[in-house]
Amino acid sequence: MEYLVAILLPQLLHGVVFGAALGLLALGLTVIFGLLGVMNFAHGELFMFGAYAGIVVIGLTQSFWVALVVAPLLVAAVGAVTEVATLRPLYRREPLYGLIMTFGLALAFREGARQLFGGDMRRILPPIEGSTPLLGMMYPNYRLFLLAFSSLLLLAIWLFFTRTRAGIIVRAAVEDAEMLDGLGVNVPRVFTLTFAGSAALAALAGLLLAPVFTVYPQMGVEMILLAFIVVILGGMGSMGGSVIAAFVIGIAQSLLTLWMNPQRVAIAIFGIMIVVLIVRPRGFFGREGVLE
Amino acid sequence: MNRTISWRTVVVFAALAALPLTPWMSKYYMLLAFDALLFGAVAMSLDLLIGYTGMVSFGHAAFFGLGAYSAAVLLERGVLSLWLCLGLAVVVVGAYALTVSAFATNRRGIYFALLTLVFAEVVYTFFRYTQTFGGSDGIQGLPAPQLLPGMALDTPVRIYYLVLAYLLLAYLACRVLVRSHFGRVLVAIRENEARARFIGYNVQRYKMGVCLISAILSGLAGALYAGRAAYATPDLLHWSISGEFIIMVMIGGLGTLVGPIIGGAFFILLQEKVSSYVEWYSIVVGVVLVLIVLFAPRGLLGFRRAWRGRPGGEAA
Repeated sequence: MEYLVAILLPQLLHGVVFGAALGLLALGLTVIFGLLGVMNFAHGELFMFGAYAGIVVIGLTQSFWVALVVAPLLVAAVGAVTEVATLRPLYRREPLYGLIMTFGLALAFREGARQLFGGDMRRILPPIEGSTPLLGMMYPNYRLFLLAFSSLLLLAIWLFFTRTRAGIIVRAAVEDAEMLDGLGVNVPRVFTLTFAGSAALAALAGLLLAPVFTVYPQMGVEMILLAFIVVILGGMGSMGGSVIAAFVIGIAQSLLTLWMNPQRVAIAIFGIMIVVLIVRPRGFFGREGVLE
Repeated sequence: MNRTISWRTVVVFAALAALPLTPWMSKYYMLLAFDALLFGAVAMSLDLLIGYTGMVSFGHAAFFGLGAYSAAVLLERGVLSLWLCLGLAVVVVGAYALTVSAFATNRRGIYFALLTLVFAEVVYTFFRYTQTFGGSDGIQGLPAPQLLPGMALDTPVRIYYLVLAYLLLAYLACRVLVRSHFGRVLVAIRENEARARFIGYNVQRYKMGVCLISAILSGLAGALYAGRAAYATPDLLHWSISGEFIIMVMIGGLGTLVGPIIGGAFFILLQEKVSSYVEWYSIVVGVVLVLIVLFAPRGLLGFRRAWRGRPGGEAA
């Protein structure tokens, strides 16, 4: 019981918190995948941009809360410009080209950030301090905020996709972009706005996690593989699947660290993914035969 | 044109062989030329998978890096024979490639790419954190391998000729391969896998075969690289290196063999030259890549072939 409260419970909660932020990151990735058929390698860099944009805005306004609104908008603008300039010409080409393209973009973005902000580790201080007694332990307030905020955001996204016309149009574009075009919807604009939205989500995840982790130009590279794993586990293009898989991976990673050193955890996570890809390549909720 | 060796191949290799004789080839340029040819050979081996069979391997760095570590482990322990280093690389990389491809060739498209990627990441993580192999520092300060007892490959000119010989043999092997019956079946699999299966070919066996060949060619290159660089580090296994290999193939042109060699050499020279002028060379490399995808999607060679109205530049 001691063990449960002192070690297992906080670790479990850490996992849930991390899973929620990972869900935001993976959600953008999976929507873009469903829409454009592109595995966006630059998604991790948009995540990193979110954290740096946050540092800049906090430096100017001294407020984390302003940054939480402004930074995702800035990154969304970067995403929209990127989509129009580089991905739009690739719509009718092999998905492979999108992969190479975003790999090149990721290289340029990462180095750009290193040139602008330097390569050293930075921190953002948590805007909420202190801890709250919870189930017999003390838990940092900021992480509770992170969990609540991410969960609300995920709920809002779900409502957006099920209850609003714009959300339904995006889902229709995932289903059959050509038919949607025939029905008179400006599909390229849908693609651009969705990409911008996905960039904003990545930026939000980056900024929200910044007070928990550290900020440096390579931070996206570390996260993107995990996000890929989540997207595949959940089933490519399945939004609900991605969110569930994010929590599964977040909790698994967090709990496994109790019994293993970090590299064994990494290998174990890769192992889970290999087994899923072999046994059930479409993931938890993916449709069969997508891009096989 | 059924000849394996065209006069153009002879001329190009003769020119490359004469390169060390030219007066402006300093030690620095010899080593740069080594890297250019070596990574050209790796890109060519990857082209067998991507260009000819339509399988995008995102884990080629593991084959290359395992080859490098195989040679490094022997050299570190005083086993200096080049042939033993290459032999161990073939065994290790071959065993790993068979394991990976047994699972990965069941899956197609992006799932194949991701399976190879994840397997490679397991290898990366293993070497990155295993102190027996030097952890994140890798194995450093290796002695030069010996071609024959007493004949060390310790000058830039010697190792340059070594890599040139390797490139020539690998190129001829690949060329024979893609023109053989085996190579035709690979193209058939790329064009229509189901149909190839219905005709009666054991598609998976062909896929595993070409994976094995491609992996061993890359592994041999890795072993040569460890001999030249005198180190093997986990960075060689990182997935961003696998990405760079794909880029080299794309730059050169899919399914052309020669194209990826040029692409690999071009990429190495670009990276090296730009990085000697500006610190932010990754931006330049990234932008060049974006431009190539946008404006020359068939690669440098494919671009030229399309322009001259000849077939053969296109592949999926």
